[in-house]
Amino acid sequence: MLLSVSGLTKSFGGVRAVDDVSFDVAEGSLTALIGPNGAGKTTAFNLISGFIRPDHGSVRFAGKPIAGRRGDVVARHGLVRMFQTPRVLTRMTVLENVMLAAPDQPGERLAMPLLMPRRVRRREAEIRARATGLIELLRLGPLSNAFAGTLSGGQRKLLELGRALIAEPRMILLDEPMAGVAPVLAGELLGHIRTLRAERGVTVFLIEHGMDVVMSISERVIVMDEGRVIADGTPAAVQASERVIEAYLGRAQSPAVAP
Amino acid sequence: MDLGNPAFWLFVAVIAGIYGIMALGLYVQFSLAGLPNFGHVAFMAVAAYAMAILVVRYDAPLVLAGLAGLVAAVILALVMGLPALRLRADYLAIATVAGGEIVRYLAMNLPDLTGGPIGSIGMLGPGNIAMFNGGWQAFLDAIRAALGRLLGPVPTRDAVMAALVWASLVVLIALVHRLERSPWGRVERGIREDETAVIAAGKNVVAFKMQALVLGAILGGLAGILLALEIGVFSPDDYSPTLTFYAYLILILGGMNRAWAIPLGAVLFSLLYSGTRFLNFFPLSLFDSGSRAFLRLFLVGALLVAFMAFRPQGVLGNRQQLLLEK
Repeated sequence: MLLSVSGLTKSFGGVRAVDDVSFDVAEGSLTALIGPNGAGKTTAFNLISGFIRPDHGSVRFAGKPIAGRRGDVVARHGLVRMFQTPRVLTRMTVLENVMLAAPDQPGERLAMPLLMPRRVRRREAEIRARATGLIELLRLGPLSNAFAGTLSGGQRKLLELGRALIAEPRMILLDEPMAGVAPVLAGELLGHIRTLRAERGVTVFLIEHGMDVVMSISERVIVMDEGRVIADGTPAAVQASERVIEAYLGRAQSPAVAP
Repeated sequence: MDLGNPAFWLFVAVIAGIYGIMALGLYVQFSLAGLPNFGHVAFMAVAAYAMAILVVRYDAPLVLAGLAGLVAAVILALVMGLPALRLRADYLAIATVAGGEIVRYLAMNLPDLTGGPIGSIGMLGPGNIAMFNGGWQAFLDAIRAALGRLLGPVPTRDAVMAALVWASLVVLIALVHRLERSPWGRVERGIREDETAVIAAGKNVVAFKMQALVLGAILGGLAGILLALEIGVFSPDDYSPTLTFYAYLILILGGMNRAWAIPLGAVLFSLLYSGTRFLNFFPLSLFDSGSRAFLRLFLVGALLVAFMAFRPQGVLGNRQQLLLEK
């Protein structure tokens, strides 16, 4: 298992946002995390990716314990996340946005650009070439030198995907990638997510509300409600689960209690 | 004072260059890394005091004392940054405002060490006049003598100082500009835009912010030392919070997002600040000179507001970039 989560718990005040959650995600799989609003999905993502510290529980990624590590450390391990509302660096160009996330640039150490300009420049050329390739792939080519702040919501999601990909992740966490994206771009984004897994072997773990998307592309679905995992299985099995139907549609009142 | 007196304008040029270095420190912190430092003056004060105390009380050679001054500024940056940089940017703003005032009040209230409210001149206690810039003046005189032999006429101390200060400013801006365009600068600019996104990109944001804060502190400390050496005496009042806002004003006038606009900003600011001294014609002459002194600060403030309203990018800045929302 590439990612295994066990006993993960996080409370905010008196609310147990994530309550003793355990699941695994297999390498190379496309897994969806679903659940009604407030189920704790995004909190679970934040805990796994190191943006919030868990109260209890363990997270292992590629065999290494990562629970409680900082977000940047988790990202460098190859577990890269994206955000529900895309976070782009608005007053920097599209190209700079992507190049920023490249790993192993010695020029990020303060004195290096002055002391070893050649080494830095060589790596910079590699990074620029890869970033340009990714931008072309995501069909943002003509916008390469535009400020990211001029992009539409959907284009920002594509840009964020590019930024995640240049880090060469083993696993990518997507928080509602389709939300607020125009249908045409959404289809494009979906295509990219599919090829990502097929061609690069990246494990995809995503939160999504669009049921047709979830059921059509994922091979495994984990369902959360009120901070707990209530179902975990194939899309068909999850759809048939009574607990899941209850969580989404509410419990049918029994005739005996009805007035 | 006479508008046409070259000695006066040479002095203004020296101060403008030093303020440029001060503003460059703030540029690294604020324009580049997005760190709201409202206590930049503290780095200048700490460096100047450390340098002067070492020279006056311990007879340290000026070069060593100057380096120690820069180290003191770095230590202050670490002390303010270690707790505050882990939190949101607002907390750094609060920490730096407080830090600046703490430094000033300490200087005011440790008379045995700092000379107290009298300032550097009282560092050796009452009855002794303490001077710390004798070594610097000797150094300037040596350059003057050498230049005199080379050129014929002997330049004034301020002429030599102006050349030194402006040469340093240009070299330092070139260095900062180079860093800004390097991968290091890219990460710092990313932090300015959205820290969370940069964490997700796998960068240790706290470490990068600390580097920017320290680099800015070194430049601020250097400006503080040069200013102290140029004027010859200083007191805690010279390090009031206003000085930090002069640095912001220089960045705003020149162009918030252009390092090469700093010299222009520094010159414009100094012309305004010194030039408004000569606003003694009608109808301003209706005010007495004491009121006119306040009028000057008022005019500087009004200009700042006007710039923010009509030309937020400054004289040379990039308007499109500045007006994009974060």
